[in-house]
Order: sequence, then structure tokens, then C-alpha cells
Amino acid sequence: MRLATRKKIITAAVAVFALAVLAVELYPIAITLLNGFRRDIVILSGQKLSLKQFTGASYALVFQNGQLMRAMRNSVIVGLLSTALSVGVGAMAAYGLTRFKFRGKNALAYSFLVFRMLPQMSLVVSLYLMFRTVGIRDTIFGITLAHSSFNVPYVIWMLIPFFTVVDKSYEEAAMVDGCSRWGMFRLIFLPLAAPGLVVAAVFAFINSWNEFLYALILTGVNARTAPVAISSLIGGDTLTWGQMCAASTIMLIPVFVFTLGMQKFLIRGVAAGGVKG
Amino acid sequence: MNLKKSVLLGALLAAAAFASAQQKVINVLLWDDPYPKALVAMLPEFEKATNIKVNIEMLQPPQVLTKTAVAVTATSTDYDVVGIDEGNVPVFASLLQPFAQWPAGKVYPKTDPKSVTPKMLSIGTWNSVQLGIPINGNLYVWMTRKDLIENPTYKTQFKAKYGYDLGIPKTFKELLEMGTFFHENGIAAGFGPFNGGPAGVLSEAVFMWESHGTKFIDYTGGTFKVVLDEAKAIEGMEFYKKLMAISPKGAETMAHVERQAAFAADPKGVFSMFIWPAQIAAYEDPNKSLVAGKIAYSAPPAGPRGQAAVTGAWAICIPKASKNQDAAAEFVYWWSSKAVADKLVQANTIPARTESLTNPAFVSSKPWLPALAASMNVAASRPRFKEIGQVQDVVKKYWIMGITGQMPTKDAVQAIVRETNDILKKAGY
Amino acid sequence: MTFSRRRATSPSGNAASGNGTGSYGSPVPFLIPAFLIVFAVLIFPIVFSFVVSLFDWPLSAGGGTRRFVGAGNYVELVRDKEFWNSLRLQLGFIFIAIPIEIALGLGAALLLNREFRGGRVVRALILLPVFFLPIVSGMTWRFMLQPRYGALNNFLLSLGAPEITWLGHPTYAYAAVIVQDVWRMWPFVFMLLYAGLVGIPADILEAAEIDGATSTKRLTKIILPLLYPTILTALLLRIIDALRIFSEVYVMTEGGPGMATTLFSLYTHRQAFGYMKVGMSSAMAIFLLVISILFAVTLVRKNMSLEKLEEQGENR
Repeated sequence: MRLATRKKIITAAVAVFALAVLAVELYPIAITLLNGFRRDIVILSGQKLSLKQFTGASYALVFQNGQLMRAMRNSVIVGLLSTALSVGVGAMAAYGLTRFKFRGKNALAYSFLVFRMLPQMSLVVSLYLMFRTVGIRDTIFGITLAHSSFNVPYVIWMLIPFFTVVDKSYEEAAMVDGCSRWGMFRLIFLPLAAPGLVVAAVFAFINSWNEFLYALILTGVNARTAPVAISSLIGGDTLTWGQMCAASTIMLIPVFVFTLGMQKFLIRGVAAGGVKG
Repeated sequence: MNLKKSVLLGALLAAAAFASAQQKVINVLLWDDPYPKALVAMLPEFEKATNIKVNIEMLQPPQVLTKTAVAVTATSTDYDVVGIDEGNVPVFASLLQPFAQWPAGKVYPKTDPKSVTPKMLSIGTWNSVQLGIPINGNLYVWMTRKDLIENPTYKTQFKAKYGYDLGIPKTFKELLEMGTFFHENGIAAGFGPFNGGPAGVLSEAVFMWESHGTKFIDYTGGTFKVVLDEAKAIEGMEFYKKLMAISPKGAETMAHVERQAAFAADPKGVFSMFIWPAQIAAYEDPNKSLVAGKIAYSAPPAGPRGQAAVTGAWAICIPKASKNQDAAAEFVYWWSSKAVADKLVQANTIPARTESLTNPAFVSSKPWLPALAASMNVAASRPRFKEIGQVQDVVKKYWIMGITGQMPTKDAVQAIVRETNDILKKAGY
Repeated sequence: MTFSRRRATSPSGNAASGNGTGSYGSPVPFLIPAFLIVFAVLIFPIVFSFVVSLFDWPLSAGGGTRRFVGAGNYVELVRDKEFWNSLRLQLGFIFIAIPIEIALGLGAALLLNREFRGGRVVRALILLPVFFLPIVSGMTWRFMLQPRYGALNNFLLSLGAPEITWLGHPTYAYAAVIVQDVWRMWPFVFMLLYAGLVGIPADILEAAEIDGATSTKRLTKIILPLLYPTILTALLLRIIDALRIFSEVYVMTEGGPGMATTLFSLYTHRQAFGYMKVGMSSAMAIFLLVISILFAVTLVRKNMSLEKLEEQGENR
């Protein structure tokens, strides 16, 4: 009985805490959400919020903006492709690094890491030259590859701690049964490492979704992604505040759905861990 | 799986490219403001008349510079037409096709350079070679709140205190006094400074210095030299410091968006300040502005030693490496033609074509046009050379320290001169 | 410890302590694809950067001739006080922002590591700032801090803060840049550590509960040690990202006022795209590369070598 009340109190405290955190975190986003429905003049004159101000004009403009809509579609495609590519490839590499014994293992792991540390602006000019020579400038393939090049090291290092804690006994059992290494990785190991894969996927997607400089230099009218297109709404000279807010809000919807959906697998990760005991 | 998808996508793109091979396609890189946006709306007319497809990519000015620098070389280019900000013409001059060698148009006649306002024409020229067609008549124009200066109460109050009539400020002294009047009485802020990007801050500095009778950098004897007169430069900076005192809160970091918010969206607003005409469309748009239709336009007020209006126009150029020079030229001829220029004027933007700017039919509905003509008479340009990026950073840093009182104005001016000289020396001038 | 005794009965048994599967099959097929994507794409740019760093290399082909200057760019860098200033600002940023992010993320992950109604939605909502485009985030913060109409500024005023142009003041602008980053990126740490917690098998925690371990003891003796590799990873990934921070700061302050928020990454950008000196910016990149390698072989190796991580993995 006492334990139950304590638990209740704790739960209530956690709920309050969660709400407080949410309020602070979501405040700027809430402003953006609301301003997407208000006229520029209302936003900038600092008027108090009222229902009368609401209008869908900014959204209408955003949806009519063909370049912007195309850029958003590109962002989704590039985000998904580069996430799939980098999580797939990164998981294999992290498996190779954590489950095999070979010389130069640490050196290899660090060089992946160091490559990720280089500032993009110093790489982008030469990447541009390279991509133009090969003929993949301003293509979805090119920008996907560029995003994967910095996402793969990220994924590898993010997965290493998750992979090291997966119990080896299942693989050992499979080895005894004569299962191939590839089969072990795919059928036995990956399901056990699901939580790690989920966060890696979420963050690989974020990296690609938010990336600006590569997209600016390596794409043109065809493969331009949303951050570049939205930056023109922010405007150096004139202001399209409402449209920027509307576009940013639209940009948040797919990722929100993505994270919500991905968590399903996060829960399954718990179950898998539970099975183990 | 992903590789397959990408390959498939690539194949689709290739097929699409093949299908449209009949039609000529040109890629155009432009800066993002209401002027090119107004043009985009008219594109179908051009594409129909010429069967040339135009891909326009619009980016913010610093990004246009970056992309042009990366994507245009002597032997290759991603763009057939590029907009070059006047300050960057020297950097790209050697990569651009001189206008004299542009092919004749098939549908639209080659643009007559004489149709471009003379002050603007010079910005498309480097080492006496005309490289492109300056397309917008962008230079400082002054905005004053008509409703404030016509208010009878303010008029009598002001006259009683200062002994002359309230109106559009014609001199710096009037600007300061009128601005102070509105500021002190809590009616509106007196002035709207620009303290944003380095290129804009340099414009303000040059504006102040020219108005106080000194040039900043001059091309003399085949080289660039700092010719800033210390006393006059300090005087100019001191005056701006006084204007800062009657500016809205947050003046230290005001860039274009904040100025727009202060002048056009704040219930009190700002009495008087400069504007780039490219932005007038936004200030006259009732969706963005509380003062649409309430703005009086004029040339900038005169400083103690003269009047100055800083230019900031774009030249439309064709890279030497473009393989579609015919189509590219056709596009520029169309853009700079009278018919299009007239339509652009009607869309509240400002082409550089003289006859459209001075067309009496537009003057009544576009009150900024006569002001623009007056500004043209006193146009002044920022110095142009390849190292301008470094110089404007130096100017911005010390100018803002000077006008906000973080550093004595004398020290600030001296630091600007010293560090600019270092840059010029290192660059070999 | 109880849980290690329990572990002894788990199916892995003593097999894990031997060579196990470590020499079964070849790691090469697993490593090749990553190697191709990362090294093939990046090796040319890195070599290129190094070569360019030895040249006076204008960004635009029209900007002048490319001239070999040897170590000239590096010498100029060492003499450039703005360079050292930007490095100092960058390190300060890392040392202030990241510990706060880790603390907040860890705290929230521990508290929210339970199932409650709407938990998934709450977690997805907390993560939203990470998805907020950096340029939009920078712009939103810039406007929230504006005098007169800035929402955050008005809130601070109501708390009795003095009227300040936050982004016009060197210290406050720097602080604002840090606050913006903490706001945007601590949920990243939260999500990573939360996933790490989810990965801790329930039986271990249950075992501790049966043992009657107090919650503090459970936290410090069991949960934190198990979470340690994940915390280190979070730290590492955040440092890497912080070294590359760019667009949000650029939009928020353009590196100003003066040079007050011109971090190393912004200065690299300014050299290349503002001054068009690719040679100088490449020299900065190579400088950073050397520091990164030193950092990786000393700090990371000491704390995060693969063997060590595996050992910790074995210990569960």
C-alpha cells in the first residue's frame, strides 16, 4: 500500500516534470506553429494572439510554391535513402568492428571518427569538383551519397556501444549450428540490437534532414533540398515570416511521424532484452 | 535495394532529359528579392515566344556569390546567366563574356546600352569593358512617414520649437532635429540605422563619409589607396552616433528584416530612413506593412558637404563558358526590354531602364520613381576590388564599435584606416 | 554482485570469455561498403584540402592566380589573432554547452524511463527541436530575443531583467548562442541515453530490486556503469557536431557583434566564402584535422577503445 502511494507520487512528479520540460522545449516551436497562421504584419507588430488573426494564406503560398514543394519531396527522398544506406552499411561496419578480432581495428574505427570531425566547408568545394567530374552534381544520388559519407561514421560510432552489450551466446549457438556469418548478423544479431538501430536511424535522418551546406553547393534546381529552399524564405532583404513558419511546420510533420513510428521498435528492443534473462 | 532505387531514379532523370532535348534549356542564378520574383511570374510569356526553358535558381545574395564562385570557371559553368552584385564584378570580370560579343537576338533585339540609366550602366563595367546588363535601379532612396510630417499638431509643435516647417528632411541637421522631436515626444523612433551584414554597413559608412566630403578608397595612379580624411570621417561617424541615440531599441543589430519590422510593422514606427528600392514592394504591401501608402520618398538628405546615394545594383551576365549563349542572351534581352521593364515597374519593382523609370504615366501611382531619379544625380558607389570582403568586415567591426560608443570614434576610424591599409598592402596594391 | 551471479547462468556461460566467434568468418565483407562510402567519397577532398592549404587559392577562378606558398597559410594563421580567438570561442562553446546537454539529457532519460500513457508522444515531442531546421531555429531565436516584439525578451523583462539588446552585446550574444544549442540539442542526448536505458535488460534491474538495493545505489552502482559507454558516445557525437556548428549561429548573429560569436567553424567559412581564401580555410581544416586525430588517439583511445567497450559489454 505504501509502496503503491509512493509510486503514484513518483509518477505524478514525473508527469509534472515531463510537462514542464515540454512547455519549455516546445515554446519556440509553438510560436512557429501559430505564426504560420498569422499575417506577417500581425507577427511583427507584436500583437497579442487572437483567433481573429488566423488565416491560411501563408500555407496557401507555401503549397503553391512549386520549387519549395519539390525541395521538400527531395528532402524526404534523400533523407530516407541516405538513412537506409548509412544505417545498413554502418551496422555492418560496426558489427565488423565489435565482433571480429583483427589488427588495426582501433585505427580503422578512429579514422572513421576523424573523418566525421572535418568541417564541411573545407570538403564541399572539392566534393563539388569531384561530383561535377563524375556527373552526379545536382542529382538525388549525389546528394544522398554526400549525406551518407558523413552519416556512416556517425552511425558506426553510435552503434558501437549498443552492439557491444548484445549477448554473444546466441551467435555462438548459431555458429555451432553452422549458420553463416552473414546469416548470424542478419537473422540473430540485428533483431537483438534493434534499439541502437532505431536511434541511429532517427539521427541519421536528422543529419540529412537538417543539412544545409552540401545541399547548397552540390545541388541546383533538380535535387535542391528543403533547408536551402526555406533559407530563401528567411530572406536577407525582405521578410516572409509567415511562410517560413508555415514551411517549417510542414517540415516537422514527417519527422514527427517518423520518430513516433520508430519508437515502436524501441519498445520491441526492451522485449528482446527481456527474453534474454 | 537503395542502389537499385538510385539507379532507377537516375535512369528516369536521363529519360526526362532526353525527352526535352528538343527544347533549349538555360540555367539562371539570381538573388532572391521581389524583383526577380516578379520576373518569374512573367516567364511563361518568354518560354512561349522562344521555346527556351528557363530554370531560375534564387538564393540569398551571399549564397549567390558562393555558388557563382564555385560553379563558374573559365572552362565550365553550371549557369548560362548569372546575376552579379556590383561589388563582385571585379572578381568575376575575367570569366564573363563581354557584352559586345553577345550574339544578336532572334526574337528580341539586342539591348541598347543607352537604354540603361547611365549611373547604373557603369556598375556592369570593369576596366572599361561592359560585361553585363545592369538590371535594377537599386540605390539609396529616402523614406519619410508622410502621416507624421503632415500631422497639424506635430507641425505646430515642431515649428514652435525649431523655427522652421516640419517636412521631408533635406539636410542632416533637419533629419536629426526632426528625428529627435519625434523620438523625444515618444511619437516614433527618429531613425532606422542598418547594422546588419558587412556589405550594408559599408554602404552606411560610405554614405556618411561621402556626405561629409570624403571618399574611402580611391583608384588613383593605377592602384587602390585609402584616401579617407580622418577629421571628416570622424565627423560622419559622430553624426551617425547621434542618429543611433534616436533609433529604436535593438538598433545595434538591425538588419533589413529588423528595420522592416521597426518601420513598417511597429505601431509607432520610424520617422525617416534609407531604403533599397528593391524592398519598396514589401513596405507598400498592406499584408506586411502598416504604413503602405503613407510613405513619402525623396533623395537622401544632404550632409554638411554634399548629398550622396549609395548604389547596390545587380548586373546580369553570361559566363564565357556557357554553351547556350544564344538562348542566354535572348533571355537577358527579353528581361531588359521596354515591355518587361514597364510591367516590372507596375509590380512595384525598379528596373534600370531609363524610359520606364521616367515614364510620366507611372509617376502618379509610383511616388518613389521621381525620388529615384533625384538620387541618381548624386549616386556614389562603394569601392570595388577583389579584397572588398575583408575590407567590409574591418569597416563593420569598428564602425559599429564607434557608433555604439564601445570605442572612441577617433580610434575606430584610425583602426579602419590602419587595417584596410594592411589588407591592401598584403594584396599587393 | 548478484547480477553477475545471475549472468553466469545465462546461456553464454564461459564461452564468451574464450575466443568465441571472434575469428569465425572474415570481417572484410562487413567493412568494405562503409569503407567505400566514407573513404572513397572523402579521401579526395581531404587530400585536396591539404594540397590547397599550401596554396594561395582564390575561391573563384576569376579571383587571381593560384600560387604555391608552402607553409605560408599556416604561418599567417598562427599570427592571426582572430584565428586564436575563434578557437577559444569554439572550445568555450564545447565546454559549456555540452556538459549541460549531457546533464539534462541524462536526467530526463532516467526520469522518463518508464512506460506511461502518452509516453511515446511525449518522447517524440521532446525530440522535435532536434528536427527544427538549424537556420529556422537560429532565426526564431534571433526574433525571440529582439527588443520590443521579441517574446523571450519580453518574458525576461517581466522577470525583472534589464532592457538589453541581447544579440548586440558580446557576452549575452555568446550566451544566447549556447542557450540556443542547449535548447536544440539536449533532446538528442536524451534520446540516445533513453535508448541505452531501454537496452539494459529488465532482469538486471529486477535482480537489484530483489536484492533490496536502494534507488541511489541502483543508479550509481548498476545503471550508470552500464550506461557509461552510451554516455561517452553521446559526448563524443556532440563534440563532433559542435565542431561543425554553423548555420544556426550564422543566421542568429553572423558571428557578431564584432567577432564575439565567430566560432572556429564560422571563421573557416568566412575565410573561404567571405574572403574567398580557400587556402586559408583549408589550412584551418587541416589544423582541425590534426587536433581531431590527437583528440581521438589520446582521450578517446584511453576511454573508448573497442576492447574496453567490449569488456564493459561482457560485464553485464
